[in-house]
Amino acid sequence: MVLALLAALSLAQGDYAPGRAGTEPLDAAREARVQALGKQLRCPVCQGTSIADSPSSIARAQLDKVRELVAEGKTDDEIFAYFVARYGDFALLSPRKEGVTSLLWLMPGLMLIFGVLIIVLQVKKKPKTAAPAAAPAAAPADDPFLEAVRKDLKQ
Amino acid sequence: MQRWVVISVALVATFGLLFVFYKGFGTDPHAVPVMNIGTQAPPFKIKRLDTGETIDSAALKGQPMVLNFWATWCGPCKGEHPVLNWAAAKYKGRVAFYGIVVESEEEATRKWLAEHGEGFPQLYDPKSTIAVDYGITGVPETYFIDKAGTIKSKYANPMDPQTMEARLAEIL
Repeated sequence: MVLALLAALSLAQGDYAPGRAGTEPLDAAREARVQALGKQLRCPVCQGTSIADSPSSIARAQLDKVRELVAEGKTDDEIFAYFVARYGDFALLSPRKEGVTSLLWLMPGLMLIFGVLIIVLQVKKKPKTAAPAAAPAAAPADDPFLEAVRKDLKQ
Repeated sequence: MQRWVVISVALVATFGLLFVFYKGFGTDPHAVPVMNIGTQAPPFKIKRLDTGETIDSAALKGQPMVLNFWATWCGPCKGEHPVLNWAAAKYKGRVAFYGIVVESEEEATRKWLAEHGEGFPQLYDPKSTIAVDYGITGVPETYFIDKAGTIKSKYANPMDPQTMEARLAEIL
């Protein structure tokens, strides 16, 4: 309650980040491109939100910049390059498929192929057959004990 | 032979992963990298609040410059303002200090400056255009630019006198 009152007092004194009007939207086709590009750029002060979806002031300013660059006729790659030059690859919500970051895209496939290879090799490997057990040594014919057993059995 | 191939591949994968973990430990995945150190400072033409004249950055080359991005609603900016006023007075004639006010109403900015002092010129960036050009992610952020117009460093926290002196030494 006290916090709410303090916040209200602070706002009443103008001690807050004002809502920015932003630039006027472009025509429908170009504005759709602005929004599509904005969806692929990361808001620097949010948690994984695009600048098209973030209400933060800096994201609004960045979307204005996208609008300005689209109006100047820049290509998508040029617009992404503008933000990467200032905020690094961090600015891109999807890592680029080139250089070191291409490993991010390749590794899952490579690991899958490696795993399948190991399974195939294991399945193809012939199981080792156990050596046949040695035949019991024949009892000597003149074993007196065996003779006694046979005799008992016949009775 | 085949067994050695499998072991080698497993070792390479293991050490690869260990390297990735080693590089990742201790780094903040949410930190925005600073990319423009060593590059030419983006040019700007922007209104000076006290005189209303347009300041062209091209005319400022030849002297080291400090650009401080701030806003009226930012608490840490209020805390560092005396440090900037002090440094601007101490290095007067050797370093040009400029404040760039972002995301703030013009009238609120004038009122704020009247209250806290205006020891160096303040420039007004109502749509944060210059801020985005410089790769700003929040306020306060301070750029140190040498006399050739090259960005030498950026400090993304409230300035203290020791840090200020150290950063200024790099551009003088």
